[in-house]
Amino acid sequence: MAPLADVFPSAEFRDELASRGGVTAARCYQCATCSSVCQLAPDDGPFPRRQMLKAQWGLGDQLVSDPAVWLCHQCNDCTVRCPRDAKPGDVMQTVRSLMVEKLAAPAFMGRLVAKAGSTWPLLLGVPFLFWVLVLYAVTGLQIPAEIKEYNDVVPHWLIYAVFFPVAGLVTLAIFPSGLRFWNLLGSNGKRSGSFVVHLVPVLIEISTHKRFGSCDAAASRRWGHFALLWGFVGAAVTSGLLLLAIYVLKSEMPLPLLHPFKVLGNLSAVLLVVGGAIVLYNRLVGGDRTGASTAFDNFFLFVVILLIATGVLTEVGRFLFLPALNVWIYILHLTVVLCLFATFPYSKFAHMVYRTLAMVHERMTRPV
Amino acid sequence: MENVGLFLCTGCEIGAAIKTDGLESLARECGAKSFVMHPFLCSEEGVATIRKAVDDGSVDSVLIAACSPRAKTAEFRFDPLKVSVERTGLREQVAWSHPHGEEDTQMLAEDLLRMGLVRIKKNILPKPLDETIEKTVLIVGGGMAGLSAAKAVAGMGHPVVLVESSARLGGSMAGVKDAAPERPPYGELHKNTIGELISAVQGDPSVRVLLQARTVHIAGQPGQFTVDVESPSGKETFQAGAIVQATGASPYDATKLGDLGYGLTPDVVTSVDLDRMIAKGEIRRPSDGKPPRRILFVQCAGSRDPAHLPYCSSECCVTTLRQVAAVHRDLPGMECAVVYRDMRTPGQMEHFYQAVQEQPGSMFTRGEVAKVEKGPEGNLVVRLKDSLLGPDAALQADLVVLAVGMIPNSADSEAIRALRDARVGAEKGDSDVQRAHAAKVAEELAFHEGTEILNLEYRQGPDLPVLRYKFSDSHYICFPYETRRTGIYAAGTVRAPMDAAQAAEDGWGAGLKAVQCISAATRGEAVHPRAGDISVADFSLQRCTQCKRCTEECPFGAINEDVKYTPQYNPMRCRRCGTCLGCCPERIINFPEYSIDAIGSMVKAIEVPDEVDEKPRVVAFLCENDALPALDEAAARRLSWNPWVRVIPVRCLGAVHVVWIADAMARGIDGVLLIGCRKGDDYQCHYMTGSELANKRMENIQETLTRLKLESNRVRILEISRNEFDRIPQIFADFEKTIEETGPNPMKGF
Repeated sequence: MAPLADVFPSAEFRDELASRGGVTAARCYQCATCSSVCQLAPDDGPFPRRQMLKAQWGLGDQLVSDPAVWLCHQCNDCTVRCPRDAKPGDVMQTVRSLMVEKLAAPAFMGRLVAKAGSTWPLLLGVPFLFWVLVLYAVTGLQIPAEIKEYNDVVPHWLIYAVFFPVAGLVTLAIFPSGLRFWNLLGSNGKRSGSFVVHLVPVLIEISTHKRFGSCDAAASRRWGHFALLWGFVGAAVTSGLLLLAIYVLKSEMPLPLLHPFKVLGNLSAVLLVVGGAIVLYNRLVGGDRTGASTAFDNFFLFVVILLIATGVLTEVGRFLFLPALNVWIYILHLTVVLCLFATFPYSKFAHMVYRTLAMVHERMTRPV
Repeated sequence: MENVGLFLCTGCEIGAAIKTDGLESLARECGAKSFVMHPFLCSEEGVATIRKAVDDGSVDSVLIAACSPRAKTAEFRFDPLKVSVERTGLREQVAWSHPHGEEDTQMLAEDLLRMGLVRIKKNILPKPLDETIEKTVLIVGGGMAGLSAAKAVAGMGHPVVLVESSARLGGSMAGVKDAAPERPPYGELHKNTIGELISAVQGDPSVRVLLQARTVHIAGQPGQFTVDVESPSGKETFQAGAIVQATGASPYDATKLGDLGYGLTPDVVTSVDLDRMIAKGEIRRPSDGKPPRRILFVQCAGSRDPAHLPYCSSECCVTTLRQVAAVHRDLPGMECAVVYRDMRTPGQMEHFYQAVQEQPGSMFTRGEVAKVEKGPEGNLVVRLKDSLLGPDAALQADLVVLAVGMIPNSADSEAIRALRDARVGAEKGDSDVQRAHAAKVAEELAFHEGTEILNLEYRQGPDLPVLRYKFSDSHYICFPYETRRTGIYAAGTVRAPMDAAQAAEDGWGAGLKAVQCISAATRGEAVHPRAGDISVADFSLQRCTQCKRCTEECPFGAINEDVKYTPQYNPMRCRRCGTCLGCCPERIINFPEYSIDAIGSMVKAIEVPDEVDEKPRVVAFLCENDALPALDEAAARRLSWNPWVRVIPVRCLGAVHVVWIADAMARGIDGVLLIGCRKGDDYQCHYMTGSELANKRMENIQETLTRLKLESNRVRILEISRNEFDRIPQIFADFEKTIEETGPNPMKGF
């Protein structure tokens, strides 16, 4: 780590951190219990003591370029053992949320999502209004007598016409942020080797959650996140396969229940439900292990849970509910998906990019 | 004593442990006039038996052969002016610690009875002191401790004279606005209430306050101190019964802290300066009079540093916390950074630390100040080393506050005396070499001149002795206010580093001790640890050789000297430890119930079996303060030890005379053990130096042994603390092994 010459703390950064849930950083008296109990901290760069110190002193510039902030999975081994209840896990999470906001492009989106505690009606309301207006314009919001497939409610082409551009915009938005982050990390140690070569083991690591498993934290945290991750991956792959089925294979919709694509989709749904249930359970009863619930965290969790719930209801509701209800459930589902897509670079979801980059950086700067 | 009555209790297993048939004749042989055996001597009826014998005059002395002298003290208390009482602990030393009915056990019990009987025969009744006792308490120093002492003493109905050297009361707390929290939840500042305390003391008609005054001479002893005080209103003399020294401490001289930036700009100040600013309500930079935006506090400024103050002053951290809280209150939005090596927050102050740490604008970090330099905008840059921020961390500040430690306002009594002795030696030494040496010593110690505070007329020096780092004497382990000058009690920061709340408590404690001392003097009694003892030492001065050993070695400075070095004993300074008895080569110092002859007779009363019996004998002198309680505890837990050991309780290891060891050797006893308290920096000796002196005297003992052509390992000196009772059996076993290896005492049978 580079020597820190002339450290002049920023009260603003400290206050900002404090106002967003990191107030406990002030309690730290730097005993290093946190760093010694952390299973994830590498031997040559233990965390989170140093990060606590920087947070306490308001050394935001140094925290922004510190990969350790992202190597933390917030298992809260440190928080439960902290003798002074300084909650290092929470502080690290707060720093991450602050960084997501700082790196956001455009910046106003970052601020908007960061303040989800008060802006959530807007964040969900705009996509909802969007869908209602678009559908009104396209289909007149007619409720079919029977829903054989959702193409009857929202034509497939419309879905693609909305989500392809949104996905493109989001990628455009996250790309400069990720690049900026990558450059900031670069100021923090000399990298060697190729990005792609180091990305592979990182992706393997992410796909197995092996590192997360080394925490003392209840295994449920690991498996909850694991199920969600693979549920989302499965859902994304299924969406791609559906394109194939509709436009290339020209299969008849809806696909039969035992169709491989359908099976994959349902499997993903099961994973999402299980993962979502575990995460929600931990959040509700987890205590110190879970950490503080900030608006930033809660908004993301709320959107994910809503997404899973509306998704499942959309699928099974066709057999259970009146078409009118199903239509609105489906609109709600699309609303949530749009919200999740649009806020991806600005919500907790962005950790997917930043943590991956930090992990690659960490591998590339390891002493050979 | 003439008419000794032996009262033998057979309760608590004593009757089962030994055969009592022949004991009456044994008692008669040893000179007992009466013999009473009782199954339950400490019962009302048993005690009445003793009382009746005392009251009808049939006995003038009572040997109670029952439990340890430390047990049943209330039951077996009789008028010390009418009857001499000794106790033989058959229960602990025989019944509870040795197999019942065995020959060795019986021999042990019989020896103990013989020893007790010959000893009590040598006792004489003490003559009571009858002196006029002054009730006034002199308090030197009017700070938190002195004022609290004055309030305590006056509240108990004693007149007080409070002597303060400065022009106002309140000491170092006088100029301070706030107090660290004193009540739960210990999170917020309290008002400093020293003003109320000053008013209360000044308004008390029984307290006389002398400002700008100093004690120029104090002569006499507890109950009878004659005090000369000089003040602007002239010199006056009055009597005092006891003295509290609460002269406080001074902040460390910051001009020596140039390496922390003191003197670089006016904006580097001490915590004392900041307290003044807070009290005035104007926290300003001295350089330009503007309010600072960031204050940086440097903890341990000169403290815990061998080059300055090697110790922790224990209150600077809390002072800084108090100041940070005050700054946040008075100037919201100000930043306070605290650089510390270790935050030390005694007692409940950890809660305060946490509360202050969580205030916005508080920053605490570990580190040391490497350098303070002028900053770019007329401010200061503080460079840190050993900080967690990396090697070159630096902080900007508008004001740097050095949290300085404290230096006790004490006088090094022993050094002052050495200086005075050297001055005399330089003039009147026997040879040129001696005079030159004395002159050199005098020059080295010259800086002590004029540092006297109490100006006591004591042979051992004009003030309280000092401990490490020049804090005034105090038996800080067991009796914190007690000093080696009976009737003079140290309180507050002169005694040990502490904060204001502790100093107040200290003042109360010392005040109570002073009153207790005066009431003990009124009854002619010793103060602790021999509280209630009315006997005093007897000096047969016609045989005195003026060797000055007693005047030098008395731990309490009780013995002055006249011009010919003849000891002048001050009985009310005396704590009855017997150190003088132990050191006197002419054996002229004795106590009515603890004399050279009495204890020597005990040694001689031990029956020593012939060599062929292979029953060695060991005498163990046990200090009554730690070693004897440890032995009693071992017995209470039914630990067993070697039955060949004969225990003689002594007042202190310092009160063991070499002649007793010689007596033991001459009698054919195979070994002598001396077991006393811990010595050294964390000494536990109730008489401070007893154990240490005994160790020094061991050299003398070795000489004695060599003279008698005996092996030096026949005498062993050991330390034990009260809680180490489980060591007792092993100590005796180890020594027995040594004696076995050394072989029997060749003097046996002579």
